[in-house]
Amino acid sequence: VAAQTGHKEKSSVTKQSILDKARREGRTQLTEVESKELLKQAGISAIDTRLATSREEAISISRKLGFPIALKIASPDILHKSDAGGVKLGLRTANQVGKAYDEVIQTIGQKYPQARLHGVAVQTMARPGVEVIMGMYMDAQFGPALMFGLGGILVEILKDVSFRIVPLAKRDAAEMVREIKGYPLLEGYRGRQPVDVSYLEDMLLKLSDFVQANPEVKELDLNPVFAYSDGALVVDARVILDEGE
Amino acid sequence: MGRFPGKIYPIHPSLSEIMGFEAYPSVKVVPGEIDLAIIAVRSSLVPALLVECADKAVKGVVLITAGFKESEDKAGAKLQDEAAAVANRSNIKIIGPNTFGFVNLHANLNASFTPEFSLTPNGGISLVSQSGGFCHLMAPLAMEEHVGMSKIIGIGNRCNVDFADILEYLADDPDTRVIMIYVEGIDNARRLLEVARGVTKKKPIVGFKAGRFSSGDKAAYSHTGSLAGKYELYTAAFKQAGILVAQSSTELMDIAKALALCPLPKGNRVAVLSGQAGPGMIMSDICEENGLVLADFSPQTARHLDRLLAPLAMRSNPVDMGPAWYDNQTIKKVIDLTLMDENIDAVLLYAAYASANRFLLNEINSLLKSPTYGKPIVSCFPSPTGIWADEKEELLQSGVVLYPTPERAAKAMVALVKRAHRQAEEHTA
Repeated sequence: VAAQTGHKEKSSVTKQSILDKARREGRTQLTEVESKELLKQAGISAIDTRLATSREEAISISRKLGFPIALKIASPDILHKSDAGGVKLGLRTANQVGKAYDEVIQTIGQKYPQARLHGVAVQTMARPGVEVIMGMYMDAQFGPALMFGLGGILVEILKDVSFRIVPLAKRDAAEMVREIKGYPLLEGYRGRQPVDVSYLEDMLLKLSDFVQANPEVKELDLNPVFAYSDGALVVDARVILDEGE
Repeated sequence: MGRFPGKIYPIHPSLSEIMGFEAYPSVKVVPGEIDLAIIAVRSSLVPALLVECADKAVKGVVLITAGFKESEDKAGAKLQDEAAAVANRSNIKIIGPNTFGFVNLHANLNASFTPEFSLTPNGGISLVSQSGGFCHLMAPLAMEEHVGMSKIIGIGNRCNVDFADILEYLADDPDTRVIMIYVEGIDNARRLLEVARGVTKKKPIVGFKAGRFSSGDKAAYSHTGSLAGKYELYTAAFKQAGILVAQSSTELMDIAKALALCPLPKGNRVAVLSGQAGPGMIMSDICEENGLVLADFSPQTARHLDRLLAPLAMRSNPVDMGPAWYDNQTIKKVIDLTLMDENIDAVLLYAAYASANRFLLNEINSLLKSPTYGKPIVSCFPSPTGIWADEKEELLQSGVVLYPTPERAAKAMVALVKRAHRQAEEHTA
C-alpha cells in the first residue's frame, strides 16, 4: 500500500490553502484531488491523484505515477462521473492516456456545456480489493456521525451500513465494522484472503480525529475504499464544507 | 390509593374540602412548606401560577397541563417559554408540561393523573419516558408480569428537566437498580449520550427508541447523509453510551427485569437445560447468534450427567432433560451440577408443565432457596393458567427470572452477558 500511496515528497499544498481556495471560489465541495490531499494529511491513505489541465500534463503525470492509469473528469458540477462518461480506466500507455484525456474533455463539453471544468484527475489504478465505504454526516441533534459499510451497489441497495457518533472510541470502531451484515466478506470467504480489519478500524479512528479537528467539514464520502489483506486505500473521496461565515 | 405519608394540600378556587382534605383557594395561603406542586389548570393560567409557586418557595412542579410546545397553536410554545423563564429564575424544576406526571413507588408518592399506578409492584426498575402513553403501557405490563418498579416518570415537553437530568438523579437513587428509557426524539441528544456514558458505569440503562422508519436527511449531499436515519443514529449513540438497545416494549421490560433481579454472569458460557429438545434448540439458537457460548461441561459434570440421564437424548450442552422429565429429583440434580460447574457462567432453564411433573417447581424452589450459586438463572416454565402461579412467585423471590417464551428468556440472557461484558471492559479500560 505504501508504494501505491507514495507521496514521499512533502506536499506544498497545505490544508489551509485548500480550504482558502474553495472559499475564494465560493465552493463548498472540494474536488477529488483536494479531498484526497486533506485525507492524506490526516494520515489516511488515499490513492495518488493529481490534477491535469492539459493532455500533455496528463501524460507526464501518468509517467510519473506509473501505468496503468485512470482518468476522471474534475468538475464541481458533475457528481456521477462515470454515468456522465467522465471516467476512463486501465490506460496502459501514454498514447492511451492522451486519447482518453481528449475524449473525456470532449464528451463532457458536449453533454454538459455549462459545467465548470477544473481538468482531469489522473490516478494510478488501485489493485482490486473489497470495496467499502466510509463517510461522515452532520446530524442536527448528535453532531458529526461516522458511517461504515460495504461499497458499490451494496451500500445503495442493501443499505448495509453502521453508524457511530464522533468522537469514536476504539471499541466503537471495532463494533461498527463488525456490525454490518456483510462483515463475513471482510473475514475472507471461499478461500479469499481476509481483509486487514484493524487497519479499517484505525482509519475510522483517524477519520473521527479528522472530523473533530476540522469542524468546517460538513460531509464526507470515502467511496470506495479498497480494503486489502495488508491495509486499505481511499480510491475516491468527496469533502463538503459548511457554508462558512 | 392514599398511602402518601406527607401532607397534601388541594388548591381550588371555591371548594373548601376535596376528598376529605382541607382545600385552599391559593398556593399563597397554604400553612406549611410545599416541596412539590402538581399543576393541572389550563395552560393560560400556568405562568401566573408558577409565579405564586416561586413566591411560596415551591421546590418542584409536575406540570400535567397540555397545550404548550406540543400544540400546533404557536401560542403554546410562547407559553412554555414564559413558564420556563419563571421556573428558571426561581430555581423550580418542572417535570412536564404535557405529562401524565410521575410515580415514586418507594415513597408512596403518585404525582400523576393515574392513581392506579400506585398498585404497581415495588422494585428496582425506573422508567423515564418521553411519552405518557408509553408509561400507561409499561405500568400495567409491570403489574401483569409482577415486575417491581421504582419510579415511573413521564418527562413530557422537557421544559427545564430533560432525560439527562433525570438520568443523573437516578444514577444516585438507591431505590433504582436499572433504568429504562423510552425516546422518540430529543434536541440535545448529545448531552443524553454524554451523561448516559457516565451513568452506565454505575447502573444499567436499557433504551427503546421509537420512530424507526424516519428516513435520512433528504437535503444531504452524501451517501452518508441520505442513509443516516435517526433510528440508526440513536441506536449507535445508545451503544456508545453503554445503553442496552431494546427493539420493542416487551424487550425493554424483559431486559430490565433480568438486570434488576439476576446477578451478572462472569462470562459468556451458558448452559441450556431443557425438559424438551425443541425449546432448548430455540434458546441455543439465540445464544449462539449473539455470541454466547454453549460451553462444554467439566469432565466431572459430564460424568455425573451421563450417570443421571439415560442415553436417549443430548446429555452435553444443550441438555435435553426429556428422559427425566417426570423425575423431579434428577432434574434438580442436573440443575445443581450445572450451576456448580466452573465452566458455566449462567443457566437457561426450560421445563413445560405436565400433570406428571406437577411438583417440579417445588423441587427447583427448594434447591435454589438454600445455596447461592451467584450465577444468573433465566427460565421459562410454560403452564396452564393458574397452575404453578405461587411456585413461580416463589422462584422470582429467589432471583430466578421467568419469561413466557424460550426466545424471550434467551434474549434476556444475551442482555445480561452483554452488560457483564461492558462492565468488565470498563474495569480493564
